[in-house]
Amino acid sequence: MLKYTLRRLLGMIPMLLLISIVVFFLALAMPGDPFSGEIDPNNTDPEYIEEMREKLGYNDPIHVQYYDWITGFVQGDFGKSVKYKIPVSDLVAQRLPNTLFLGIMSLVITYCFAFAMGMTAGRRPYTKLDHFIGGFNYMMLAIPSYIAGVFAIYFFSFQLGWFPFNGSVNIAVDEGTLDWWLSKVYHTFLPALVLGAMGTASYTQFLRNDIIDNSNKDFVRTARAKGTPESRIYNHHILRNSVIPLITFLGFDLVSLVNGALITETIFTYPGLGQLFLTSVQASDYPTLMTLTLMFSFIVLIGNLIADILYGIVDPRIRID
Amino acid sequence: MEVVPNKDPQLKTTKPPKSMSPWAMARRKFMKNKLAMISLVYLIILAILSFLAPYITTVDISRVNIGQMKLPPSSEHWFGTDTSGRDVFVRLLYGGRVSLFVGISCTMIILLLGVIVGAIAGFFGGIVDSMLMRFTDFVLNFPFLVFVIVLNAILFGKVGGVGVLIGVISLLGWGGVARLVRSKILSEKENEYVLAATSIGGRPNKVIMKHLLPNVLTTVIVQATILFANMIVAESALSYLGFGVPQEVPSWGNMLSASQQPEVLQDMPWIWVPPAVILVFTILAINFIGEGVKDAFNPKSFR
Repeated sequence: MLKYTLRRLLGMIPMLLLISIVVFFLALAMPGDPFSGEIDPNNTDPEYIEEMREKLGYNDPIHVQYYDWITGFVQGDFGKSVKYKIPVSDLVAQRLPNTLFLGIMSLVITYCFAFAMGMTAGRRPYTKLDHFIGGFNYMMLAIPSYIAGVFAIYFFSFQLGWFPFNGSVNIAVDEGTLDWWLSKVYHTFLPALVLGAMGTASYTQFLRNDIIDNSNKDFVRTARAKGTPESRIYNHHILRNSVIPLITFLGFDLVSLVNGALITETIFTYPGLGQLFLTSVQASDYPTLMTLTLMFSFIVLIGNLIADILYGIVDPRIRID
Repeated sequence: MEVVPNKDPQLKTTKPPKSMSPWAMARRKFMKNKLAMISLVYLIILAILSFLAPYITTVDISRVNIGQMKLPPSSEHWFGTDTSGRDVFVRLLYGGRVSLFVGISCTMIILLLGVIVGAIAGFFGGIVDSMLMRFTDFVLNFPFLVFVIVLNAILFGKVGGVGVLIGVISLLGWGGVARLVRSKILSEKENEYVLAATSIGGRPNKVIMKHLLPNVLTTVIVQATILFANMIVAESALSYLGFGVPQEVPSWGNMLSASQQPEVLQDMPWIWVPPAVILVFTILAINFIGEGVKDAFNPKSFR
């Protein structure tokens, strides 16, 4: 297992380098100077600009520029945002907690709903309730998350007035207090629900099918024969076995959270990394754009890595290759 | 594990003339599937209406009409008009044109790229396989939406609008198909008929095209339906965010992006509900067709 994990980890390094090179060249290909955040926009004196360009290393050969950028990146120096005029690392530090909070909350919601629905449906297969849950999940899988988001805002925020439709927290509340956290949860609930909807559907169907599979196995018959209560059989014996394959989804969740965060954060005007990314594309804010692109790529890479490793843990056959 | 359907054309001649080919059997099974057939009819009608839109209506969709802004649905404007005074129903038809076209083109290109890479990697194995698969892993490791947006931002303005989107989506999307086709080919090429075809001197491209691909075709067709739905979602999501097809071209995603203005979202549901509903129905229909096809080709299912 250790060997397998190490091999996967080492295989990641060339991938990281390649992706960083691709991101670098993409930034070079973009119209305008990729690192122009440092130049004072009010000073249009050509001599000053030329001097700054020289100082910032624009006239260096490309491989030197790449080396400067990537060594800076590894040390946490992401450059300075063109739009916000502050270091990108500060900007990311501001937004990252929000995105993390949204992601974690959406995972929690996903797990709660998926377990409740999956266990209910799996215990009563082919009944009306099961078909209802199945149909509901089919709908959730078919509805794109941004349409779900738009409808959620329309019904829950505008028609019913239950949830706010923008922001991540009530600004009037002091940071760190209990009220502040409650307000954060309150603001994040609807986006998290929408972000987790698709995951919930696939988790539920997977859990249901696995519970049905397992309920025909010998260990369940043994448990029944010795008089174990039905609820204990399902909640204990079967569930424990059905949860194991489910953990491999965790890596893919990370990947879908990256894609989902872009859309969900925009719909709910939630100040996270996804929204920052889109505004930086619109504003041609290259330092921010490059940092975020690279960060998202790393998250996806790590997500795939986690999925691979978890697969190896669950299914030992995969380790040999 | 998929059971390999026996669709050896030679068998047909030795059997009594009435027995059906696997394709005919699959077709009959599919025709019996009501949900899939309704979905298919819906899609065909939608496609015909969309592609004939310029002949059905004579309304100019690009003209901004200040006198008829934000009108609720009436007999003159079936679904009302949007914030620029354009008829929502007509735009819906034209939008379907763009959305379906982008969906179909992306699916086609992705299938082509994915099948070629997957088939070559799976058939030749060895170093060719590991090189191609490393490259596939590399493509798969890009966060899809993020890179489509970045590439679109770079290419936008330099080359034509919708074409850029199709190209970028296809370029980043073929990894999954390649992996799938490769794994199918890997298991398929162990069969004796492949050995026979190779040993009588069949060139690799002939063996792949004539013998291997027809046997993985069912998987590819099912994958195509999933892809088609996903591509329509991708296009509309990107357009919704403002990074898809150009703003002035009506597509379902572009129409939906009007809902980003709170007053449209709150008070003018006729502007954004029709594209949302038709999009969801289309995706559902494609999913149902996909399920139907999968079921029809599965020799184990008798429904």
